[in-house]
Amino acid sequence: MLKDVTLGQYFPINSPLHRLDPRTKIVLLIFLIVAIFMANNIASYALLCLLTILIIGLSRVPARMYFQGLKPLWFVILFTALINVFLTPGTAIYICGRPTHMSWEGLILAGKMALRLVLLITASSALTYTTSPIILTDGIEKLLKPFSRFGLPTHELAMMMSIAIRFIPTLIEETDKIMKAQKARGANFDSGPILQRIRALAPMLIPLFISAFRRADELAVAMESRCYQGGDNRTRLNEIRFSHSDLVAALFFLVFFVAILMLRIFL
Amino acid sequence: MAINISNLNYIYMPGSPFEKHALRDINLTIHDGEFVGIIGHTGSGKSTLVQHLNGLLMPSSGSITVGDIEVTAKNADLKQLRQKVGLVFQYPEHQLFEETVYKDIAYGPKNMKLSPEEIDERVREAMNYVGLGEKYCERSPFELSGGQKRRVAIAGVLAMRPDVLILDEPAAGLDPAGREEILTQIRALYLAKKMTVLFVSHSMEDVARIAGRIIVMNNGSVAMDGSPADIFSRAKELRTMGLDVPQITQLVEELRARGLNINDSIYTLERAKATLLMMLSEKEKKNKEGKTC
Repeated sequence: MLKDVTLGQYFPINSPLHRLDPRTKIVLLIFLIVAIFMANNIASYALLCLLTILIIGLSRVPARMYFQGLKPLWFVILFTALINVFLTPGTAIYICGRPTHMSWEGLILAGKMALRLVLLITASSALTYTTSPIILTDGIEKLLKPFSRFGLPTHELAMMMSIAIRFIPTLIEETDKIMKAQKARGANFDSGPILQRIRALAPMLIPLFISAFRRADELAVAMESRCYQGGDNRTRLNEIRFSHSDLVAALFFLVFFVAILMLRIFL
Repeated sequence: MAINISNLNYIYMPGSPFEKHALRDINLTIHDGEFVGIIGHTGSGKSTLVQHLNGLLMPSSGSITVGDIEVTAKNADLKQLRQKVGLVFQYPEHQLFEETVYKDIAYGPKNMKLSPEEIDERVREAMNYVGLGEKYCERSPFELSGGQKRRVAIAGVLAMRPDVLILDEPAAGLDPAGREEILTQIRALYLAKKMTVLFVSHSMEDVARIAGRIIVMNNGSVAMDGSPADIFSRAKELRTMGLDVPQITQLVEELRARGLNINDSIYTLERAKATLLMMLSEKEKKNKEGKTC
Protein backbone atom coordinates (compact mmCIF):
# COMPACT_ATOMS: atom_id res chain seq x y z
CA MET A 1 0.00 0.00 0.00
CA LEU A 2 2.63 2.51 1.05
CA LYS A 3 4.95 1.32 -1.68
CA ASP A 4 2.60 2.81 -4.26
CA VAL A 5 3.56 6.30 -3.22
CA THR A 6 6.00 7.52 -5.82
CA LEU A 7 7.86 10.65 -4.94
CA GLY A 8 10.29 12.22 -7.33
CA GLN A 9 9.02 9.54 -9.74
CA TYR A 10 12.31 9.24 -11.59
CA PHE A 11 12.06 6.79 -14.49
CA PRO A 12 15.40 5.02 -14.66
CA ILE A 13 16.19 4.58 -18.37
CA ASN A 14 18.64 6.17 -20.77
CA SER A 15 17.48 8.78 -23.24
CA PRO A 16 18.80 11.99 -24.81
CA LEU A 17 16.77 13.90 -22.25
CA HIS A 18 18.18 11.87 -19.35
CA ARG A 19 21.69 12.74 -20.46
CA LEU A 20 21.19 16.49 -20.52
CA ASP A 21 22.76 18.66 -17.84
CA PRO A 22 20.18 19.19 -15.05
CA ARG A 23 20.87 22.92 -15.16
CA THR A 24 19.91 23.04 -18.82
CA LYS A 25 16.74 21.16 -18.09
CA ILE A 26 15.74 23.39 -15.18
CA VAL A 27 16.40 26.63 -17.06
CA LEU A 28 14.70 25.43 -20.22
CA LEU A 29 11.69 24.31 -18.19
CA ILE A 30 11.42 27.81 -16.74
CA PHE A 31 11.55 29.26 -20.27
CA LEU A 32 8.97 26.78 -21.45
CA ILE A 33 6.62 27.73 -18.61
CA VAL A 34 7.02 31.41 -19.50
CA ALA A 35 6.32 30.51 -23.14
CA ILE A 36 3.19 28.61 -22.14
CA PHE A 37 1.89 31.69 -20.35
CA MET A 38 2.79 33.96 -23.27
CA ALA A 39 0.95 31.90 -25.86
CA ASN A 40 -2.27 33.60 -26.84
CA ASN A 41 -3.34 32.23 -30.21
CA ILE A 42 -3.94 28.95 -31.99
CA ALA A 43 -0.63 28.96 -33.83
CA SER A 44 1.44 29.37 -30.68
CA TYR A 45 -0.56 26.70 -28.87
CA ALA A 46 -0.03 24.35 -31.79
CA LEU A 47 3.69 25.04 -31.63
CA LEU A 48 3.73 24.37 -27.87
CA CYS A 49 1.85 21.10 -28.32
CA LEU A 50 4.32 20.01 -30.97
CA LEU A 51 7.25 20.81 -28.70
CA THR A 52 5.69 18.94 -25.78
CA ILE A 53 5.15 15.88 -27.96
CA LEU A 54 8.78 16.15 -29.08
CA ILE A 55 9.89 16.29 -25.42
CA ILE A 56 7.79 13.24 -24.54
CA GLY A 57 9.33 11.39 -27.49
CA LEU A 58 12.88 12.37 -26.56
CA SER A 59 12.41 11.34 -22.93
CA ARG A 60 11.59 7.76 -24.05
CA VAL A 61 9.30 7.53 -21.03
CA PRO A 62 6.05 5.77 -22.07
CA ALA A 63 3.25 8.27 -22.77
CA ARG A 64 0.98 6.49 -20.31
CA MET A 65 3.28 7.60 -17.50
CA TYR A 66 2.51 11.20 -18.44
CA PHE A 67 -1.21 10.44 -18.41
CA GLN A 68 -0.79 8.93 -14.96
CA GLY A 69 0.87 12.15 -13.86
CA LEU A 70 -2.19 14.08 -15.00
CA LYS A 71 -4.61 11.79 -13.20
CA PRO A 72 -4.50 13.39 -9.75
CA LEU A 73 -5.05 16.82 -11.34
CA TRP A 74 -7.95 16.16 -13.68
CA PHE A 75 -10.33 17.48 -11.05
CA VAL A 76 -8.49 20.81 -10.86
CA ILE A 77 -8.43 21.02 -14.66
CA LEU A 78 -12.14 20.29 -14.90
CA PHE A 79 -12.97 22.72 -12.12
CA THR A 80 -11.09 25.65 -13.68
CA ALA A 81 -12.65 24.83 -17.03
CA LEU A 82 -16.17 24.93 -15.55
CA ILE A 83 -15.52 28.21 -13.74
CA ASN A 84 -14.26 29.71 -16.99
CA VAL A 85 -17.21 28.51 -19.02
CA PHE A 86 -19.76 29.92 -16.61
CA LEU A 87 -18.15 33.07 -15.33
CA THR A 88 -16.65 34.61 -18.47
CA PRO A 89 -18.89 37.33 -19.82
CA GLY A 90 -19.62 37.23 -23.57
CA THR A 91 -22.02 35.83 -26.17
CA ALA A 92 -24.29 33.40 -24.43
CA ILE A 93 -24.51 29.83 -25.67
CA TYR A 94 -28.02 28.77 -26.67
CA ILE A 95 -29.16 25.32 -25.73
CA CYS A 96 -32.59 24.30 -27.09
CA GLY A 97 -33.14 27.87 -28.16
CA ARG A 98 -32.70 29.31 -24.70
CA PRO A 99 -29.70 31.37 -23.48
CA THR A 100 -27.61 29.83 -20.70
CA HIS A 101 -25.00 31.22 -18.34
CA MET A 102 -22.30 29.69 -20.50
CA SER A 103 -20.54 31.86 -23.08
CA TRP A 104 -18.58 31.10 -26.23
CA GLU A 105 -15.71 33.23 -25.01
CA GLY A 106 -15.74 31.25 -21.79
CA LEU A 107 -15.66 27.97 -23.64
CA ILE A 108 -12.63 29.02 -25.67
CA LEU A 109 -10.88 30.37 -22.57
CA ALA A 110 -11.66 27.17 -20.70
CA GLY A 111 -10.12 25.14 -23.50
CA LYS A 112 -7.01 27.30 -23.48
CA MET A 113 -6.62 27.14 -19.73
CA ALA A 114 -7.08 23.39 -19.64
CA LEU A 115 -4.49 23.01 -22.39
CA ARG A 116 -2.12 25.28 -20.48
CA LEU A 117 -2.43 23.22 -17.33
CA VAL A 118 -1.91 19.96 -19.20
CA LEU A 119 1.16 21.38 -20.95
CA LEU A 120 2.57 22.73 -17.68
CA ILE A 121 2.19 19.45 -15.85
CA THR A 122 3.50 17.38 -18.75
CA ALA A 123 6.57 19.59 -19.16
CA SER A 124 7.36 19.50 -15.43
CA SER A 125 6.87 15.74 -15.29
CA ALA A 126 9.33 15.44 -18.16
CA LEU A 127 11.93 17.02 -15.85
CA THR A 128 11.23 14.76 -12.86
CA TYR A 129 10.90 11.63 -14.99
CA THR A 130 14.27 12.15 -16.64
CA THR A 131 16.31 13.55 -13.75
CA SER A 132 17.03 11.61 -10.58
CA PRO A 133 16.33 13.64 -7.43
CA ILE A 134 19.99 13.68 -6.46
CA ILE A 135 21.11 15.07 -9.82
CA LEU A 136 18.26 17.55 -9.67
CA THR A 137 19.44 18.95 -6.34
CA ASP A 138 22.99 19.08 -7.74
CA GLY A 139 21.65 21.18 -10.58
CA ILE A 140 19.73 23.46 -8.23
CA GLU A 141 22.83 23.91 -6.12
CA LYS A 142 24.90 24.94 -9.13
CA LEU A 143 22.22 27.32 -10.31
CA LEU A 144 21.98 28.97 -6.91
CA LYS A 145 25.76 29.21 -6.52
CA PRO A 146 25.93 32.91 -7.49
CA PHE A 147 23.66 33.75 -4.57
CA SER A 148 26.06 32.28 -2.05
CA ARG A 149 27.97 35.54 -2.39
CA PHE A 150 25.05 37.19 -0.64
CA GLY A 151 25.15 34.73 2.22
CA LEU A 152 22.79 32.06 0.92
CA PRO A 153 24.08 28.68 2.19
CA THR A 154 23.52 26.96 -1.16
CA HIS A 155 25.57 23.86 -0.50
CA GLU A 156 23.95 23.22 2.87
CA LEU A 157 20.48 23.71 1.40
CA ALA A 158 21.20 21.31 -1.44
CA MET A 159 22.70 18.76 0.96
CA MET A 160 19.64 18.93 3.19
CA MET A 161 17.40 18.46 0.18
CA SER A 162 19.39 15.47 -1.07
CA ILE A 163 19.35 13.81 2.34
CA ALA A 164 15.63 14.40 2.75
CA ILE A 165 14.89 12.96 -0.68
CA ARG A 166 17.26 10.06 -0.14
CA PHE A 167 15.49 9.02 3.05
CA ILE A 168 11.91 9.16 1.79
CA PRO A 169 11.92 5.59 0.41
CA THR A 170 13.83 4.33 3.44
CA LEU A 171 11.29 5.78 5.83
CA ILE A 172 8.39 4.48 3.75
CA GLU A 173 9.91 1.01 3.92
CA GLU A 174 10.47 1.36 7.64
CA THR A 175 6.86 2.47 8.21
CA ASP A 176 5.64 -0.48 6.22
CA LYS A 177 7.73 -2.86 8.26
CA ILE A 178 6.70 -1.46 11.64
CA MET A 179 3.05 -1.44 10.61
CA LYS A 180 3.28 -5.09 9.66
CA ALA A 181 5.08 -5.97 12.88
CA GLN A 182 2.39 -4.30 15.00
CA LYS A 183 -0.38 -5.81 12.89
CA ALA A 184 1.18 -9.19 13.62
CA ARG A 185 0.66 -8.31 17.29
CA GLY A 186 -2.99 -7.61 16.66
CA ALA A 187 -2.84 -3.85 16.04
CA ASN A 188 -5.75 -2.35 14.14
CA PHE A 189 -4.96 0.76 12.16
CA ASP A 190 -7.95 1.07 9.90
CA SER A 191 -11.14 0.71 11.87
CA GLY A 192 -12.78 2.01 15.00
CA PRO A 193 -13.73 5.52 16.13
CA ILE A 194 -11.41 8.35 15.17
CA LEU A 195 -9.93 8.88 18.65
CA GLN A 196 -9.12 5.22 18.97
CA ARG A 197 -7.53 5.24 15.54
CA ILE A 198 -5.29 8.16 16.47
CA ARG A 199 -4.23 6.35 19.63
CA ALA A 200 -3.56 3.23 17.58
CA LEU A 201 -0.92 5.20 15.67
CA ALA A 202 1.38 5.52 18.69
CA PRO A 203 2.81 1.98 18.35
CA MET A 204 3.74 2.90 14.79
CA LEU A 205 4.91 6.51 15.19
CA ILE A 206 7.12 6.03 18.24
CA PRO A 207 9.32 3.32 16.69
CA LEU A 208 9.38 5.31 13.44
CA PHE A 209 10.65 8.46 15.15
CA ILE A 210 13.19 6.50 17.14
CA SER A 211 14.53 4.88 13.99
CA ALA A 212 14.58 8.21 12.11
CA PHE A 213 16.63 9.80 14.90
CA ARG A 214 18.91 6.78 15.03
CA ARG A 215 19.49 6.99 11.28
CA ALA A 216 20.11 10.73 11.43
CA ASP A 217 22.61 10.18 14.20
CA GLU A 218 24.39 7.39 12.35
CA LEU A 219 24.52 9.46 9.18
CA ALA A 220 25.97 12.44 11.05
CA VAL A 221 28.65 10.26 12.63
CA ALA A 222 29.45 8.63 9.29
CA MET A 223 29.77 12.02 7.61
CA GLU A 224 31.92 13.45 10.38
CA SER A 225 34.20 10.44 10.51
CA ARG A 226 34.88 11.03 6.81
CA CYS A 227 35.75 14.64 7.60
CA TYR A 228 32.76 15.98 5.75
CA GLN A 229 32.81 19.70 5.45
CA GLY A 230 30.31 21.38 3.21
CA GLY A 231 30.68 24.48 1.16
CA ASP A 232 33.81 25.89 -0.42
CA ASN A 233 36.44 23.95 -2.29
CA ARG A 234 34.45 20.76 -2.21
CA THR A 235 34.76 18.70 -5.40
CA ARG A 236 32.37 16.01 -6.57
CA LEU A 237 32.64 12.49 -7.85
CA ASN A 238 30.22 13.04 -10.71
CA GLU A 239 30.71 16.54 -11.98
CA ILE A 240 27.76 17.76 -14.03
CA ARG A 241 28.90 19.15 -17.37
CA PHE A 242 27.44 21.42 -19.94
CA SER A 243 27.99 19.41 -23.10
CA HIS A 244 27.46 19.67 -26.82
CA SER A 245 23.89 18.39 -26.68
CA ASP A 246 23.04 20.93 -23.99
CA LEU A 247 24.12 23.66 -26.39
CA VAL A 248 21.98 22.18 -29.16
CA ALA A 249 18.99 21.96 -26.83
CA ALA A 250 19.49 25.53 -25.63
CA LEU A 251 19.79 26.91 -29.19
CA PHE A 252 16.73 24.99 -30.30
CA PHE A 253 14.79 26.41 -27.38
CA LEU A 254 15.97 29.91 -28.16
CA VAL A 255 14.61 29.66 -31.70
CA PHE A 256 11.38 28.28 -30.37
CA PHE A 257 11.06 30.96 -27.72
CA VAL A 258 11.61 33.72 -30.26
CA ALA A 259 8.97 32.09 -32.49
CA ILE A 260 6.40 32.21 -29.67
CA LEU A 261 7.33 35.80 -28.97
CA MET A 262 6.88 36.71 -32.67
CA LEU A 263 3.52 34.95 -32.81
CA ARG A 264 2.38 36.93 -29.81
CA ILE A 265 3.47 40.28 -31.24
CA PHE A 266 2.47 39.88 -34.88
CA LEU A 267 -0.64 37.72 -34.79
CA MET B 1 -1.00 -26.52 13.65
CA ALA B 2 -0.48 -27.67 10.09
CA ILE B 3 0.14 -25.28 7.24
CA ASN B 4 -0.78 -25.99 3.66
CA ILE B 5 0.41 -23.85 0.77
CA SER B 6 -0.54 -24.63 -2.79
CA ASN B 7 0.44 -22.95 -6.06
CA LEU B 8 1.34 -19.76 -4.27
CA ASN B 9 2.50 -16.89 -6.47
CA TYR B 10 3.30 -13.37 -5.39
CA ILE B 11 4.04 -10.53 -7.75
CA TYR B 12 5.40 -7.37 -6.25
CA MET B 13 4.05 -4.08 -7.70
CA PRO B 14 2.46 -5.62 -10.79
CA GLY B 15 2.21 -3.46 -13.91
CA SER B 16 4.90 -0.99 -12.88
CA PRO B 17 8.52 -0.83 -14.06
CA PHE B 18 9.47 -2.26 -10.65
CA GLU B 19 7.38 -5.40 -11.06
CA LYS B 20 8.97 -8.47 -9.53
CA HIS B 21 7.84 -12.06 -9.41
CA ALA B 22 8.81 -12.66 -5.78
CA LEU B 23 7.32 -16.12 -5.27
CA ARG B 24 6.73 -18.74 -7.95
CA ASP B 25 4.49 -21.77 -7.61
CA ILE B 26 5.20 -22.61 -4.01
CA ASN B 27 3.73 -25.91 -2.81
CA LEU B 28 4.47 -26.82 0.77
CA THR B 29 2.96 -28.77 3.63
CA ILE B 30 4.25 -28.13 7.11
CA HIS B 31 3.05 -30.59 9.70
CA ASP B 32 1.97 -29.88 13.23
CA GLY B 33 4.93 -29.72 15.60
CA GLU B 34 7.65 -29.53 12.97
CA PHE B 35 10.71 -27.36 13.36
CA VAL B 36 11.44 -26.06 9.89
CA GLY B 37 14.44 -23.99 8.88
CA ILE B 38 14.03 -21.83 5.80
CA ILE B 39 17.27 -20.79 4.17
CA GLY B 40 18.08 -18.86 1.06
CA HIS B 41 20.13 -16.03 -0.33
CA THR B 42 19.08 -12.39 0.18
CA GLY B 43 16.09 -11.74 -2.06
CA SER B 44 15.21 -15.41 -2.47
CA GLY B 45 11.70 -14.80 -1.10
CA LYS B 46 12.01 -16.23 2.43
CA SER B 47 10.61 -13.19 4.20
CA THR B 48 7.91 -12.69 1.58
CA LEU B 49 6.84 -16.29 2.05
CA VAL B 50 6.48 -16.13 5.82
CA GLN B 51 4.52 -12.87 5.66
CA HIS B 52 1.85 -14.71 3.73
CA LEU B 53 1.33 -17.14 6.58
CA ASN B 54 -0.41 -14.64 8.83
CA GLY B 55 -2.11 -12.63 6.14
CA LEU B 56 0.18 -9.60 6.11
CA LEU B 57 0.67 -10.18 2.40
CA MET B 58 -2.01 -11.65 0.21
CA PRO B 59 -0.94 -13.94 -2.63
CA SER B 60 -1.38 -12.89 -6.26
CA SER B 61 -2.63 -16.43 -6.86
CA GLY B 62 -2.77 -19.73 -4.99
CA SER B 63 -4.13 -20.71 -1.61
CA ILE B 64 -2.92 -21.04 1.97
CA THR B 65 -4.56 -22.77 4.90
CA VAL B 66 -3.29 -22.62 8.47
CA GLY B 67 -5.02 -25.14 10.72
CA ASP B 68 -8.66 -24.74 9.81
CA ILE B 69 -8.37 -21.11 8.68
CA GLU B 70 -8.27 -20.48 4.97
CA VAL B 71 -6.04 -17.41 4.77
CA THR B 72 -6.86 -16.66 1.17
CA ALA B 73 -10.64 -16.72 1.67
CA LYS B 74 -12.34 -13.34 1.26
CA ASN B 75 -13.83 -13.27 4.75
CA ALA B 76 -10.87 -14.85 6.55
CA ASP B 77 -10.64 -13.89 10.20
CA LEU B 78 -7.22 -12.27 10.10
CA LYS B 79 -7.29 -11.29 13.75
CA GLN B 80 -7.81 -14.89 14.77
CA LEU B 81 -5.11 -15.98 12.33
CA ARG B 82 -2.53 -13.49 13.60
CA GLN B 83 -3.14 -14.70 17.10
CA LYS B 84 -2.47 -18.29 16.06
CA VAL B 85 0.54 -17.49 13.91
CA GLY B 86 3.08 -15.41 15.78
CA LEU B 87 5.52 -13.64 13.47
CA VAL B 88 8.74 -12.21 14.85
CA PHE B 89 10.22 -9.86 12.26
CA GLN B 90 13.84 -9.23 11.50
CA TYR B 91 15.30 -6.83 14.06
CA PRO B 92 12.11 -7.03 16.13
CA GLU B 93 13.56 -4.63 18.70
CA HIS B 94 12.77 -1.81 16.26
CA GLN B 95 9.09 -2.24 16.99
CA LEU B 96 9.30 -1.55 20.76
CA PHE B 97 7.40 1.55 21.79
CA GLU B 98 6.07 1.36 25.35
CA GLU B 99 7.49 2.96 28.46
CA THR B 100 8.10 -0.31 30.25
CA VAL B 101 9.04 -3.82 29.21
CA TYR B 102 5.89 -5.12 30.85
CA LYS B 103 3.56 -2.81 28.92
CA ASP B 104 5.25 -3.58 25.64
CA ILE B 105 4.87 -7.32 26.04
CA ALA B 106 1.25 -6.76 27.10
CA TYR B 107 0.45 -4.95 23.84
CA GLY B 108 -0.39 -8.11 21.89
CA PRO B 109 -2.58 -9.77 24.58
CA LYS B 110 -4.30 -6.41 25.13
CA ASN B 111 -5.22 -6.25 21.46
CA MET B 112 -6.78 -9.68 21.96
CA LYS B 113 -9.10 -8.08 24.56
CA LEU B 114 -8.16 -10.47 27.36
CA SER B 115 -8.85 -9.87 31.03
CA PRO B 116 -6.11 -8.07 33.05
CA GLU B 117 -5.39 -11.24 35.04
CA GLU B 118 -5.00 -13.28 31.87
CA ILE B 119 -2.73 -10.61 30.38
CA ASP B 120 -0.61 -10.53 33.52
CA GLU B 121 -0.24 -14.28 33.51
CA ARG B 122 0.74 -14.37 29.85
CA VAL B 123 3.25 -11.54 30.16
CA ARG B 124 5.01 -13.21 33.06
CA GLU B 125 5.01 -16.55 31.29
CA ALA B 126 6.48 -15.01 28.13
CA MET B 127 9.15 -13.17 30.09
CA ASN B 128 10.03 -16.39 31.81
CA TYR B 129 10.39 -18.21 28.47
CA VAL B 130 12.88 -15.69 27.13
CA GLY B 131 14.77 -15.54 30.41
CA LEU B 132 13.85 -12.02 31.50
CA GLY B 133 13.52 -11.83 35.28
CA GLU B 134 10.95 -9.97 37.34
CA LYS B 135 13.25 -6.98 37.73
CA TYR B 136 12.92 -6.10 34.04
CA CYS B 137 9.15 -5.47 34.25
CA GLU B 138 9.38 -1.79 35.08
CA ARG B 139 12.52 -1.00 33.07
CA SER B 140 12.26 1.03 29.86
CA PRO B 141 12.88 -1.22 26.85
CA PHE B 142 15.09 1.48 25.35
CA GLU B 143 17.75 1.25 28.02
CA LEU B 144 18.35 -2.47 27.56
CA SER B 145 21.12 -4.08 25.52
CA GLY B 146 20.50 -5.24 21.95
CA GLY B 147 20.05 -8.88 22.92
CA GLN B 148 17.70 -8.05 25.78
CA LYS B 149 15.60 -5.77 23.57
CA ARG B 150 15.23 -8.58 21.10
CA ARG B 151 14.10 -10.94 23.83
CA VAL B 152 11.49 -8.40 24.92
CA ALA B 153 10.21 -8.23 21.35
CA ILE B 154 10.06 -12.01 21.02
CA ALA B 155 8.25 -12.21 24.37
CA GLY B 156 5.75 -9.71 22.95
CA VAL B 157 4.82 -12.26 20.31
CA LEU B 158 4.96 -15.27 22.66
CA ALA B 159 2.52 -13.57 25.03
CA MET B 160 -0.15 -14.09 22.39
CA ARG B 161 0.39 -17.84 22.80
CA PRO B 162 0.62 -18.65 19.11
CA ASP B 163 0.42 -22.22 17.85
CA VAL B 164 2.83 -21.46 15.05
CA LEU B 165 5.90 -19.36 15.72
CA ILE B 166 7.74 -17.80 12.80
CA LEU B 167 11.09 -16.17 13.42
CA ASP B 168 12.72 -14.12 10.68
CA GLU B 169 16.47 -14.06 11.29
CA PRO B 170 16.14 -13.97 15.07
CA ALA B 171 19.89 -14.07 15.63
CA ALA B 172 20.92 -11.45 13.06
CA GLY B 173 23.23 -8.76 14.35
CA LEU B 174 23.79 -10.30 17.79
CA ASP B 175 27.16 -11.13 19.29
CA PRO B 176 28.04 -14.85 19.59
CA ALA B 177 26.86 -15.07 23.19
CA GLY B 178 23.53 -13.39 22.45
CA ARG B 179 23.13 -15.59 19.42
CA GLU B 180 23.73 -18.73 21.41
CA GLU B 181 21.27 -17.66 24.06
CA ILE B 182 18.47 -16.87 21.60
CA LEU B 183 18.92 -20.15 19.72
CA THR B 184 18.97 -22.21 22.91
CA GLN B 185 15.84 -20.49 24.14
CA ILE B 186 14.01 -21.06 20.87
CA ARG B 187 14.91 -24.71 20.97
CA ALA B 188 13.79 -25.02 24.61
CA LEU B 189 10.58 -23.21 23.80
CA TYR B 190 9.88 -25.57 20.94
CA LEU B 191 10.40 -28.60 23.14
CA ALA B 192 8.35 -27.19 26.00
CA LYS B 193 5.37 -25.84 24.09
CA LYS B 194 5.27 -28.32 21.22
CA MET B 195 4.56 -25.52 18.77
CA THR B 196 5.24 -25.49 15.07
CA VAL B 197 8.30 -23.35 14.44
CA LEU B 198 9.49 -21.78 11.19
CA PHE B 199 12.96 -20.41 11.45
CA VAL B 200 14.20 -18.15 8.65
CA SER B 201 17.92 -17.68 8.48
CA HIS B 202 20.86 -17.52 6.18
CA SER B 203 23.26 -19.01 8.66
CA MET B 204 23.80 -22.66 7.80
CA GLU B 205 25.31 -23.32 11.24
CA ASP B 206 22.21 -22.12 13.08
CA VAL B 207 19.77 -23.98 10.88
CA ALA B 208 21.82 -27.18 11.00
CA ARG B 209 21.84 -27.17 14.77
CA ILE B 210 18.25 -26.40 15.41
CA ALA B 211 15.93 -27.49 12.58
CA GLY B 212 14.50 -30.93 11.88
CA ARG B 213 13.65 -30.10 8.30
CA ILE B 214 15.16 -27.57 5.91
CA ILE B 215 13.55 -25.74 3.03
CA VAL B 216 15.91 -24.02 0.62
CA MET B 217 14.53 -21.04 -1.30
CA ASN B 218 16.10 -19.78 -4.49
CA ASN B 219 14.77 -17.08 -6.81
CA GLY B 220 11.30 -17.24 -5.33
CA SER B 221 10.80 -20.97 -5.54
CA VAL B 222 11.46 -23.93 -3.29
CA ALA B 223 14.75 -25.41 -4.50
CA MET B 224 15.18 -28.18 -1.93
CA ASP B 225 13.17 -29.61 0.91
CA GLY B 226 14.40 -32.34 3.25
CA SER B 227 16.27 -33.31 6.40
CA PRO B 228 19.49 -31.45 7.25
CA ALA B 229 21.52 -34.53 6.30
CA ASP B 230 19.77 -34.57 2.94
CA ILE B 231 20.27 -30.91 2.22
CA PHE B 232 23.88 -30.64 3.32
CA SER B 233 24.95 -33.64 1.27
CA ARG B 234 24.14 -31.53 -1.80
CA ALA B 235 26.90 -29.00 -1.21
CA LYS B 236 27.56 -28.36 -4.89
CA GLU B 237 23.96 -27.35 -5.64
CA LEU B 238 23.84 -25.16 -2.55
CA ARG B 239 26.93 -23.33 -3.71
CA THR B 240 25.38 -22.51 -7.07
CA MET B 241 22.60 -20.74 -5.12
CA GLY B 242 25.08 -18.62 -3.23
CA LEU B 243 24.68 -20.74 -0.11
CA ASP B 244 27.08 -23.08 1.60
CA VAL B 245 27.17 -26.03 3.95
CA PRO B 246 28.12 -25.53 7.63
CA GLN B 247 31.84 -25.09 8.18
CA ILE B 248 32.06 -28.32 10.12
CA THR B 249 30.56 -30.20 7.15
CA GLN B 250 33.18 -28.59 4.95
CA LEU B 251 35.88 -29.86 7.31
CA VAL B 252 34.43 -33.38 7.26
CA GLU B 253 34.29 -33.24 3.46
CA GLU B 254 37.93 -32.23 3.36
CA LEU B 255 38.93 -35.04 5.74
CA ARG B 256 37.12 -37.57 3.61
CA ALA B 257 38.81 -36.26 0.48
CA ARG B 258 42.13 -36.94 2.21
CA GLY B 259 41.19 -40.55 2.78
CA LEU B 260 39.61 -40.59 6.21
CA ASN B 261 36.70 -43.04 6.36
CA ILE B 262 34.11 -40.74 7.92
CA ASN B 263 30.35 -40.48 7.69
CA ASP B 264 29.38 -37.52 5.51
CA SER B 265 26.10 -36.56 7.15
CA ILE B 266 27.78 -34.62 9.93
CA TYR B 267 26.64 -31.03 10.22
CA THR B 268 26.99 -30.12 13.87
CA LEU B 269 30.08 -29.52 15.92
CA GLU B 270 28.97 -31.91 18.69
CA ARG B 271 28.42 -34.76 16.28
CA ALA B 272 31.75 -34.18 14.56
CA LYS B 273 33.58 -34.10 17.86
CA ALA B 274 31.98 -37.33 19.04
CA THR B 275 32.66 -39.10 15.74
CA LEU B 276 36.27 -38.00 15.53
CA LEU B 277 36.95 -38.97 19.15
CA MET B 278 35.42 -42.37 18.55
CA MET B 279 37.56 -42.90 15.47
CA LEU B 280 40.67 -41.89 17.40
CA SER B 281 40.01 -44.32 20.26
CA GLU B 282 39.32 -47.12 17.78
CA LYS B 283 42.60 -46.37 16.09
CA GLU B 284 44.44 -46.45 19.41
CA LYS B 285 42.82 -49.75 20.27
CA LYS B 286 43.97 -51.22 16.98
CA ASN B 287 47.49 -49.92 17.56
CA LYS B 288 47.59 -51.55 20.97
CA GLU B 289 46.25 -54.84 19.62
CA GLY B 290 48.94 -54.71 16.96
CA LYS B 291 51.63 -54.33 19.62
CA THR B 292 50.45 -57.23 21.78
CA CYS B 293 50.50 -59.63 18.86
